[in-house]
Amino acid sequence: MTQSTESDQSDQIREIGHDEYDPVGTLALIGLYFLILVLLWFFMYFVEFLGNEPTVTGLLLSVVGLA
Amino acid sequence: MAKPTEVRTMSEAGSTYIDAFPAEAKVVRAAFYSSFLALAIGGLFGVVQTLHRTDVYRFMDSADYYTVLTAHGVLLAITFTIFFLVGVFTWAITTSLDRGVEDIRFTWAWYGLMVLGTALVAIPIFAGFTDSIDMSASVLFTFYAPLQAHPLFYLGLVLFVVGTWLAGVDWFRSWLAWKAENPDERIPLPTFMVLTTTLMWYIATLGVAIAILAFLLPWSLGLIDSVNPLLTRTLFWFFGHPVVYFWLMPAYMMWYIMLPKVSGGKLFSDPLARVVFVLFLILSVPTGIHHQYLDPGIAEGFKFIAMTNTMFLLLPSLLTAFTVVASMEHGARQRGGEGYFGWLKALPWRDPVFTGMALAGLMFAAAGFSGMINAGMNINYLVHNTFWVVGHFHLTVGTAVALTFMAVTYWFLPQVTGRALWNRSVALVQVVLWFVGMTFMSNAMHRAGLLGVPRRTAEPQYDGFEFEAAVGSVGELNAQIALGGILLTLSLALFFANVVGTAFNGKSDSLPANGYAETLSGSEDAPLVLDNLKLWTAIAVVLVIFAYTFPILSIVDRGGLFGPDVNPFPVSLDTLPVLGLVLEQYVTTALATAGELTGSIVTEVTP
Amino acid sequence: MNIHTYEKLWLVAAMVLIVGFIATITYGSVGLGITMVGDQQPTIEPSEISDDERFGEPRVEHVGENEYEAYVVAQTFAFSPDPIEVPANSEVTFYVTARDVIHSFSVAGTNINTMVIPGEIAEMTVEFDEPGEYGIVCNEYCGSGHHDMEGMLHVVPEDEFDMTELSVDADDELELGDEAAFNVSVENRMLDDLETTATLEIGDEMLEEELTVAGGDLEETTFTVDTTDLGEGEHDWTVAIDNYEESGTLTVVEELETDDENEDDDGDNGSDGDDDENDDGETDGGEDDE
Repeated sequence: MTQSTESDQSDQIREIGHDEYDPVGTLALIGLYFLILVLLWFFMYFVEFLGNEPTVTGLLLSVVGLA
Repeated sequence: MAKPTEVRTMSEAGSTYIDAFPAEAKVVRAAFYSSFLALAIGGLFGVVQTLHRTDVYRFMDSADYYTVLTAHGVLLAITFTIFFLVGVFTWAITTSLDRGVEDIRFTWAWYGLMVLGTALVAIPIFAGFTDSIDMSASVLFTFYAPLQAHPLFYLGLVLFVVGTWLAGVDWFRSWLAWKAENPDERIPLPTFMVLTTTLMWYIATLGVAIAILAFLLPWSLGLIDSVNPLLTRTLFWFFGHPVVYFWLMPAYMMWYIMLPKVSGGKLFSDPLARVVFVLFLILSVPTGIHHQYLDPGIAEGFKFIAMTNTMFLLLPSLLTAFTVVASMEHGARQRGGEGYFGWLKALPWRDPVFTGMALAGLMFAAAGFSGMINAGMNINYLVHNTFWVVGHFHLTVGTAVALTFMAVTYWFLPQVTGRALWNRSVALVQVVLWFVGMTFMSNAMHRAGLLGVPRRTAEPQYDGFEFEAAVGSVGELNAQIALGGILLTLSLALFFANVVGTAFNGKSDSLPANGYAETLSGSEDAPLVLDNLKLWTAIAVVLVIFAYTFPILSIVDRGGLFGPDVNPFPVSLDTLPVLGLVLEQYVTTALATAGELTGSIVTEVTP
Repeated sequence: MNIHTYEKLWLVAAMVLIVGFIATITYGSVGLGITMVGDQQPTIEPSEISDDERFGEPRVEHVGENEYEAYVVAQTFAFSPDPIEVPANSEVTFYVTARDVIHSFSVAGTNINTMVIPGEIAEMTVEFDEPGEYGIVCNEYCGSGHHDMEGMLHVVPEDEFDMTELSVDADDELELGDEAAFNVSVENRMLDDLETTATLEIGDEMLEEELTVAGGDLEETTFTVDTTDLGEGEHDWTVAIDNYEESGTLTVVEELETDDENEDDDGDNGSDGDDDENDDGETDGGEDDE
């Protein structure tokens, strides 16, 4: 336990500085996250929400054909 | 080329926190233990609820469910989180400024006030379990009027919040003293995070302070006859949304300054971390009305403004996601990780501190999504007050915050006790178990919410109808919730085994040194204006005034300051000072009567 | 401040997300006409709900062609009216208020969901295209019986929907030879006229009468039967109109017994007599309309 952080740092095999580091893995992960967010958002709004009729509508538009 | 990063100067290089700051370590330890006590009781009540709601095992009357729920909410959302974070913040201030608190007696005083406040809140809540004491406060964490709690409940909340205000004063004192000695230095990042969060907290708690001191406390004492339920509710959410950032900011702080270190890397960007905390300071408060999308009496336009603010509040969290993951990746690559995804394998997954925080972060990514849905205005018809919301905040406060806190506890405990962690493998199992348990529970809660299953209900089984699931069944969802609850309880048991085991461990001389992550892009890259706390506070206040003045004036105009039974208060813009006078008068009255409180067991819940 | 290119990219993507979310919600509001519960309605004092024109008697009202208004009161731990009945293919505006604490009015499995706050009136307009039965729950904690607070919303097929109320006033016991009178009143709370047939079945006898009840009006009619034809004994009767029925039993005896009962009967007869006169008047009116 004593070395919980020490031991991890001793696993370091190289020093990567600011200018030589490109977080491509982060970009890949977060790109994936972005796609998931967009897909889930559309699913939640257009399928779960608009499919959960009836919905509260004003008098503006009475008949709404929903996806 | 590697940039030179500033070397963290600890009082004694290589020493633990308790060696460097023995007096402060005692306060931090006391705060942690208070927090864990709340976690133990609150967590136990959690599993009681999952079993009761799902009808897996019911041993109490359903009316008592709401007392259990009140205790669960208050103990976990307020007591557990805030006691832990005042400990972390005190550690962060002293460590990053490398100076002890200005006056340890003051530090103990605010801690004591918080304890007193908690005790006063707990008395009427727990008295609700027995009829022999004519006292109760089964009003839930939100204490919406006209549900009324015993005055002690409100008084305790006030004292607790005042305790946190004084804690903030303590931290600011340290910073000002340090600044006098180091006029040209940048505010160290951890201190910067503490100060911005504290400023946000000061603004946010004004809402609940007014709600309690001007309305609820005098009302519970019988000094005023009625309150305007929409007004006190709005004031609650003025505080109720930003309070989640008060819990979340310390977790973010841990992700920024501890996670890179335990990953074996450095914080990717100090300037962006500052930007994120500034954004939280200015955007956290003017968003509370998004909890009231379905409230009658608030115009749609105000709701739309609240939504816009809330949506932009996603920005700092999305930025955090990038910075934190990039910092982890930096560690992984320094440890030999390669490829687009292969680097993930090079992370220290056997370290409970790392794994707990990483899993908490992963859960927060999912919570981010359900939060985006909650932020949406009209889609709120689908999810408002359903079990979905409960699923959401068990991912945020229940995992992103709680699991991060538990994980860093495994690092903090040796620092504040001088004793080695009792068992690291148990700790690893504990954090993974929490993740698995919460996956079951919150996933099922989200899905049940979409079927319309309500939150805060002892028996969501009805006589006239059943909830219909398109996929799976309500029974399957209930099974997942109960299973999740049991796994989470097991996880808690392991956590406490480690806390107690560590407390009884022998003193160790080979503990890691106190410290936090270095940065790749340091504070020297951050524009000076970021450290201008006055500027950001001013902007935050202006945004709050923009977002809240008109809704509150409108609510008071419609329903009266003290409720619908009172003649409409003639409100126009120039009546604000009048409103102020009235508030002041009631605050004075309330404070005057506070002294007589002790013996006054007058009121109980009168729905 | 140097920000890594990837992080700039993510910053832009994050802004796209945020703006996209706001745009979707705005499309729902403007394009699809989804409106939020707002501040359209005036406030109401909870203590005066009982005397209120709309909420004094919680009900559904027919206010226009295929347009209905439902005045709903939530209180610990019930909704009224319960069940709420509306026709399919209609536009219903719910007005919901609370008598005591904060509740909600949430129709399970739909997007009909609002907080119900004492002093405020929530207004929601909803279109019901299909028939169906929905549960209504209170999803805001309102006290120790919160979990028992439920109601039902019945959306009935359009052709089965009416707002007819039938009531029958008849004698329980008569002497052989008396005339048995069945005073039938039919209320039509729809705006359209109701054309229907009222029937009385008693013993082997079956009487019928065509009725036209104007929209928002009440019609009364009387069936009379000679007890001599029925004979001594108990006779079950049923008055029916469309889907509504009311039944009872008439006992015919040779001679009514005690004085007390006689007095009671006299009293009843007296009031019946008054009713008869009214009935006649109104029935005549109805016939004039025809």
